[in-house]
Amino acid sequence: MNVRSQISMVFHLDKCIGCHTCSIACKNIWTDRKGAEYMWWNNVETKPGTGFPTAWEDQEKYKGGWDAGEGELRLRSTSKPKTVFNIFHNPHMPTMDDYYEPWTYDYKALFDAPEGPDQPTARPISMVTGQPMDIEAGPNWDDDLGGSPVYAENDRNLEGLTPDQRRQLFAVERLVFFYFPRICNHCLNPACVAACPSGALYKRGEDGIVLVDQNRCRAWRACIAACPYKKVFFNWFTGKSEKCILCFPRLETGQAPACFHSCVGRIRYLGVLLYDAERIAEVAKRPNEELVEAHRSLVLDPFDPEVIAAAHRNGIHPSVIEAAQKSPVYQFVKVWKIALPPHIEYRTLPMLFYVPPMAPVMAGLEGGMVNHVSDNLFHDIDESRVPMKFLASLFGAGHEASVRYALRKQKAVRWHRRALTVGDVEPAVAERMLREADSSAEEAEAIYKLTSLCSFEERFVIPPAHREEAIEMMRDPLEHKQGVGFGFLSGPRRSA
Amino acid sequence: MSPIRTIGPFVLIWVLAGCASAQDPADFFRENCTNCHTIGGGRLTGPDLKNVGARQNRSWLAEFVVNPQAMIDKGDPYAAKLVEEARGVVMPRVAGLTPALAQSLLNLIEVESKLPKSQFAGLEISDRPFTPAEIARGRALFTGGRRLANGGPVCTSCHTVRGVAALGGGRLGPDLTQAFGRLQGRKNLASWLLAPPTPTMQPVFRKKALRSDEILPLVAYLEASAKAGGADDSAGPLNFFLLGLGGTAVALIVFGSSWKARFRAVRRPLVAGNGKGSEA
Repeated sequence: MNVRSQISMVFHLDKCIGCHTCSIACKNIWTDRKGAEYMWWNNVETKPGTGFPTAWEDQEKYKGGWDAGEGELRLRSTSKPKTVFNIFHNPHMPTMDDYYEPWTYDYKALFDAPEGPDQPTARPISMVTGQPMDIEAGPNWDDDLGGSPVYAENDRNLEGLTPDQRRQLFAVERLVFFYFPRICNHCLNPACVAACPSGALYKRGEDGIVLVDQNRCRAWRACIAACPYKKVFFNWFTGKSEKCILCFPRLETGQAPACFHSCVGRIRYLGVLLYDAERIAEVAKRPNEELVEAHRSLVLDPFDPEVIAAAHRNGIHPSVIEAAQKSPVYQFVKVWKIALPPHIEYRTLPMLFYVPPMAPVMAGLEGGMVNHVSDNLFHDIDESRVPMKFLASLFGAGHEASVRYALRKQKAVRWHRRALTVGDVEPAVAERMLREADSSAEEAEAIYKLTSLCSFEERFVIPPAHREEAIEMMRDPLEHKQGVGFGFLSGPRRSA
Repeated sequence: MSPIRTIGPFVLIWVLAGCASAQDPADFFRENCTNCHTIGGGRLTGPDLKNVGARQNRSWLAEFVVNPQAMIDKGDPYAAKLVEEARGVVMPRVAGLTPALAQSLLNLIEVESKLPKSQFAGLEISDRPFTPAEIARGRALFTGGRRLANGGPVCTSCHTVRGVAALGGGRLGPDLTQAFGRLQGRKNLASWLLAPPTPTMQPVFRKKALRSDEILPLVAYLEASAKAGGADDSAGPLNFFLLGLGGTAVALIVFGSSWKARFRAVRRPLVAGNGKGSEA
């Protein structure tokens, strides 16, 4: 057992209202710079939809993630011979159009325009060329099913659906969408790190955050092709790759990352998971139907004395283990099993988990009247407007079992709370629902509390960063204690 | 400033200079003089130095050896005669040749002149026509087909000769097609090869000198190439450029065809296909 700690996340999709506050918080802090205008380290997508960059889930085109064919893990995008052959041109890069051409508006014209017959307008100006441009697409162009005949209908996750189901998805009173906020998953088996020819990407030992060393990055951009979630971006101004850093400067000072902190729906949870690094390779090679369960089995019980002892041996600080015991992520992922990894079939073993959303019931039009298919207030999950196959494609590697389990448990919690608060549900019925969903009244209560009444401290259990320990691994802090004066690690840059 | 600080550097230079002049004059002569001079072997570019003491007085010789150009510039008539005999070639100043070393060189020449056969009598090279086998062997040595016995670098790594290979040889050093003519014959060329005097070649071949059984075929080869006529190999660079251009075009065509199915865009084809729920 090789115990490591990872700061992991849960996004509760049932609570997301799609307001994009997270994206804006991130943009304002990190990517409001030249060359980073097009980057959205955090973005919120509408599902069904093609997302950002367009159709990022289509690995036939983008070649992201790992292939486990022939019992060996291989990057889809590159390999040593391919690196040589593609040395001048990596053929699987998203184009600027697949992201979007970033733009601003010529606001000055509103004030400076000469007097004329019409109101002056602020024309869109490209932030790449500085010239007026026609806007063809944007980072959330398919928001709320906008342009759905083009975008939503081409969602890869609809592939397993029957033509009938596909048609219904966009029919009146059957139409449905939910939001899918995305940041870097800080994977256990990151393809971006594996693909980098310069060794510039690395997974931080103390908390598992995946980072790009800006000094070592040599602009190969192999990470951009390799990341199946397309969450590494290339800054064309600095010539370096950039990605979500999970706001580590905030984490190290005990604050939640900006997107977590600003989330108005309070959908985001953050906490430490202890996992067994020894089994990563083995788990990543499992067949699709076993992946979700195998991935979950990597997460270790932070209360198990054996795990605690092994964690101590690996130098994990007791305060981090304590944080792991209080981690809301541990509850969602391991105890309740209602949070699932996105597209685990890419085999990067993402450490951001999603609680799949409950959807409205199906309805039909009969003689101009809208009728619900089900009379139940909390209908059967198979009658949900979002087809189970669609969610299974997103969160179960195409297999429904784990998604069904998570949805049933969520539904049972609703019945349980309805019986308690409104009382129009027989307690015995609620009890039966819970039993069928492999749950209990106590668990339902705990899920309800952490879902609906959670405080700031319950949502974000941030372990002490112990930077002093991390620094001691690299250099002796007393090395210069008796040295002369003070200095700079690298010379200060001054203007003339 | 203390006297030691002022004098120190000069003392150091003096000691170093002392070391240099302490070099064996025979070695110095072999490395620096034999490519133009012999002692009792007849004239090469420069005159035979046998009994040179009888032709000029010792102080004149010592002064000339240290700085020949200065003597010529002074209008010395004997120096002018020497230049004329050497067909305009002026003896270069030799690095590290101090007045003290010049004296010991003159002593050496004096001693060697009295010997029946001096060690500096130079190569004896016959006037008979070279055989094709010798020329072929020279070519092999020149192109590296046969390695140089003492491990010196192969000629083509820096030099070319017309017709040596499709793309010619190296272009770092001068073209040697007409070297035979430039160095005025077999004997000069052979002596030159025995101890190449140029600043680039001298350090390279000082420790890895060519052997006499290698010099003869090389002379044969260079003589044959000079006699085959033709100017220097000027077509080489053009051929090289054209070949590079053609190679680039072929490579681009190969890359283009093997990447026919490469990623170009996702969103635009999607919009152009207007969805239909199918793969655009």
